[in-house]
Amino acid sequence: MQWLYLAIADIFEITVAIAAGKAEGFKNRTWTVVTLVSGAIGTYFLSKALLTFDVGVGYAIWTSIAGVGITLLGALLFGQRLNWRKALGILAIIVGVVGLQLSGAA
Amino acid sequence: MSDTSPSSANSWLTLLLAGGFEVGYALSVGGSHGFTRLTWSLVAVAFFLLTLWALSAALRTIDVALGYAVWAGIGSAGAALLGPVLFDETLTTGQALWLGLIIVGVVWLKLADRQQGGGEPGAVPQDGQEAASARRETQGA
Repeated sequence: MQWLYLAIADIFEITVAIAAGKAEGFKNRTWTVVTLVSGAIGTYFLSKALLTFDVGVGYAIWTSIAGVGITLLGALLFGQRLNWRKALGILAIIVGVVGLQLSGAA
Repeated sequence: MSDTSPSSANSWLTLLLAGGFEVGYALSVGGSHGFTRLTWSLVAVAFFLLTLWALSAALRTIDVALGYAVWAGIGSAGAALLGPVLFDETLTTGQALWLGLIIVGVVWLKLADRQQGGGEPGAVPQDGQEAASARRETQGA
């Protein structure tokens, strides 16, 4: 169940990253509201996930998966190139998350 | 030495502060136990607003990708180190190494965005990227 909570929290965290960029220093009211509401919902599901995960482990997995999602969305929707540097970062995160899970921490 | 101008120093201080707020956010969200503990929950909300405010203030002058990398690095390293101090949690050496790999991956990924950030408007993506990486190499030399 904690992985589902983390996945939901990540969807909202990716929304926060996109909305915060469009909020232009919180001058744009609509995107500011989207940022705050998404952040609140994401935080709630993160807290549910952290009932099972240790804080450091759950937080690192949550924020790193959000980073991977933002990079992949940037490539798919916003025409940013997925170069070898980004692929290497994504690989390191995936190996780290799988390693954590195999080591019994997640 | 131009980096030590007051406004730039203030931005970096604000960014470090945002990283600290993010550590506080992670720890208090964990401590709130699914938002069932009032004090921890209120602290979590305060840290959420503080980290958002400080990060966006710092990113007005600091390069977005670089700023995100520093902020995310401080946040996840701080939460990993302080979690076992504040809560009844243990972190074995093996788990710490995997956690370290994830944190390095996050910082690396954010920094990899940097070479695309400075593309001139109207330039073909490839050209913009080459120009940006050439600039980076000049700065790094």
